[in-house]
Amino acid sequence: MTPRTWPAGLFRLTTTVAAVLACNQAVFAGQFLSGTYVALRLHRDGSTYTVAAVASTVLAAVLWRRLGRGPAWPIPATMALVALTAVQTFLGYRLVLAVHIPLGVTVIMLLIALTVAGWRRGPVRSASVRGLIASGRERGR
Amino acid sequence: MTTLSRRALLGMAGLSAAAGIGIPLGRGLAAPTSTGQLLRSRAPRPPLFQRRLTVPPVLRPTRSAGDTDHYEIVQTAVRAEILPGLTTELWTYNGSFPGPTIHSTRGRTVRIRHVNRLPVPTVVHLHGGRTPAADDGYPIDFVHPLDMAQHVGHHMGGDVSHGERTYTYPLDQRAATLWYHDHRMDFTGPSVWRGLAGFHLHHDDEEAALGLPAGVPLMIADRSFDRDGSLLYPARAGGHGVTGDYVAGVLGDVMLVNGVPWPTHPVGRGTYRFRLLNAANARRLSVRLDPPPPTGLVRIGTDGGLLAAPIRHDHLELAPAQRFDILVDFSAYAPGTVVTMVNDFDIGAMGQIMRFVVGDERLAPFAVPDRLSTVTPPRASDAVVTRRFDFRTGEIAGHDGWLVGQQPFHPDVIAAHVKLGTVEIWQLNADFHHPVHLHLSPFQVLGRGSGGPGPYDAGWQDTIDLRPGEQAKILVHFDGYPGKYVFHCHNLEHEDMAMMANFVAT
Repeated sequence: MTPRTWPAGLFRLTTTVAAVLACNQAVFAGQFLSGTYVALRLHRDGSTYTVAAVASTVLAAVLWRRLGRGPAWPIPATMALVALTAVQTFLGYRLVLAVHIPLGVTVIMLLIALTVAGWRRGPVRSASVRGLIASGRERGR
Repeated sequence: MTTLSRRALLGMAGLSAAAGIGIPLGRGLAAPTSTGQLLRSRAPRPPLFQRRLTVPPVLRPTRSAGDTDHYEIVQTAVRAEILPGLTTELWTYNGSFPGPTIHSTRGRTVRIRHVNRLPVPTVVHLHGGRTPAADDGYPIDFVHPLDMAQHVGHHMGGDVSHGERTYTYPLDQRAATLWYHDHRMDFTGPSVWRGLAGFHLHHDDEEAALGLPAGVPLMIADRSFDRDGSLLYPARAGGHGVTGDYVAGVLGDVMLVNGVPWPTHPVGRGTYRFRLLNAANARRLSVRLDPPPPTGLVRIGTDGGLLAAPIRHDHLELAPAQRFDILVDFSAYAPGTVVTMVNDFDIGAMGQIMRFVVGDERLAPFAVPDRLSTVTPPRASDAVVTRRFDFRTGEIAGHDGWLVGQQPFHPDVIAAHVKLGTVEIWQLNADFHHPVHLHLSPFQVLGRGSGGPGPYDAGWQDTIDLRPGEQAKILVHFDGYPGKYVFHCHNLEHEDMAMMANFVAT
C-alpha cells in the first residue's frame, strides 16, 4: 500500500489547533487574573476543548503512522500530552496553582514543539524529535 | 508537495494561529476596573445634570430619655419618580431613598425601632458600627413582615422577629461616616439595589472641636431600569443570587447620587464637606473634579473616622461600601463655573457622576487644620496571630459562587476565634475585585503585595479594596463585644453567593 499524504496534514491541523487552544488558555488566564470574570468561564470551557483537541492528535498520530508511514514517536508523545493536559485540568479545578501554572507553560511549550515538528517533517519515518528536526534542517539546506 | 504551496500553507497556518491567539488577546487587553457585568437599562437614559441634588431627610428622635435617643423607621415600599415620566417601586426606610440620615453622638445610645412593611424579611446592619452581636444584624436574624408570620426561612436558627425589631447601638466609637443597609442572608444585593440603605453620621467632641463646615452626604450608586421604570435585577428564578455572568456583580448604567440621576448641586464660593459613600453593589469609582480645585480633594476621614492629618488627592478610588470624608474648596472658581464630578473608571454617561454650579455667594473661609484627630494604631509586632483568607471563585452545589477559604458561608461554620483586646494580622488574598468588609472591628492596612499601603489606605478602615490577584495584610484590632460576627466581600452579588464567613469574639 502506498503511503497516504493526508494523515500528515491531519496531524499538522490537529496539533496546530491544540497549540492555539492551549495558548488561548494562557490568554484567558491572564485576563481573569486581571479581573475579567467571563475569561474564567472561557478558561474553564477552553480546558475541555484543549483536552479534546490534544486527544484528536493521538488519533491523527496513529493514522499518520498506519496510513502515512509517519514516525512512531508522535503516538506516545501525544498520549503523554493527553495525560498532561488532563492532569493540568484537574489541578486547575483544584486551584493547585503552584503546579498548574508551570505545568501549563510546559504543556504549551510541548504542544508548540509537537506542532513545529509536524510542520517541519513530511510523511516519512523518523526515530526521534531530534532526528526529525535535524533531518528537517538538512532538507532545508 | 511543491515548495511554494508548502510555504503558502505554512503561512496560512501561521496567520490563522496568530489570529486565533491574537484576537482573544487583543479583545481582553483592557483590564476591567470593577468585577461585574453591565446590566443594560431598557428605559431611556435620563438626561444628565438636569435635576437638583436632594439630601436625605434627617431623622429626629421620637423621644430622648436619659442617655438614649429613640428613633422609629418603617420599612416600606414606595413609588418614586427617578426617571422622568416613569415611576419606580423602591424598598425604603421611611419612604425615602436613601433612607433618612441618623445623627448620633458618642456617649448617647441610639435605639431604632424598625417596622417591616415590606413583602420580604429584612435584617438591618449598621455598617461600621461597634455594635453588640445581638444587634449587629446577623444575616439570619430576620425581621419578618407581619403578613408573613407563617413564613419559614430556609435557614432557621437566627434570632427571628415578626413585624418589628428594636436595634440598640451603644456607639462607643470615634466620629465616623457610617451607613445602615439590609443584610439578609442571600438577598442583600437585591434589597440594597431596591433602596434599603441610608446614612448614619456619628459625631464626637474631637470632630466638633474642628468646626468643620456642614457636611453634604453623597450616596453614589448605579442602578438599571426596566421599560416601565421599575428596577431591573437579574435574580435567579426561585432562589438566591443572580443569573449567568452577573455572578461577577451587577453594574448599573444609571448613576444616582442620593437617588437622583446625575444631579446638579449649587455651591457657594467656600469650603464644603462631602461624605462620599459608594453604595453600588459592585461598581468601583474613581472620583475626580473637573476642572480640579487648586487645593485638591482634601480627605479628612475614612470608614473609621477622622484621619490624623488631612491628605490631598487629585482623585479618589472607592470600592463598594467605602466612605471618604472630604473637603472641597470652591472659592477659587469664578462664579458660574460648572464643576463636574467624574468617574475615571468608566466612560460616557457612567464616567460622569454629578455637577456643582458655583454661585456668587462667598462663604466664611475655612482653614483646613493640620491635625484632625489622634489616631493610635496598634503595632504589627503586637499581633498575636496571622491568619490567611483566600477570597476566590468556586462552585457551590453545581452553581458558580464565591468562597472564603474554600468554604461557602454557613451560619454554623466558624472561620476564626478571636480574643477581644488583641491584635491580629489577616492576610487577604483575592482573585478578582473583592471589597472585603469586617464587622465590629476596624483595621489598618499594613501593605499590599510586597509593598506598603496604597494611597487610600491610611486611617481606620472597615472595608478594603482588594484588586485582582492582590494580597493585602491588615492589622485588625478586635475590640468591643463578644459574639459571632461576619466578614465578607461587599460586592453584594459575591456576598449573596456565599463569600462570607464568621468570626467569634470572646
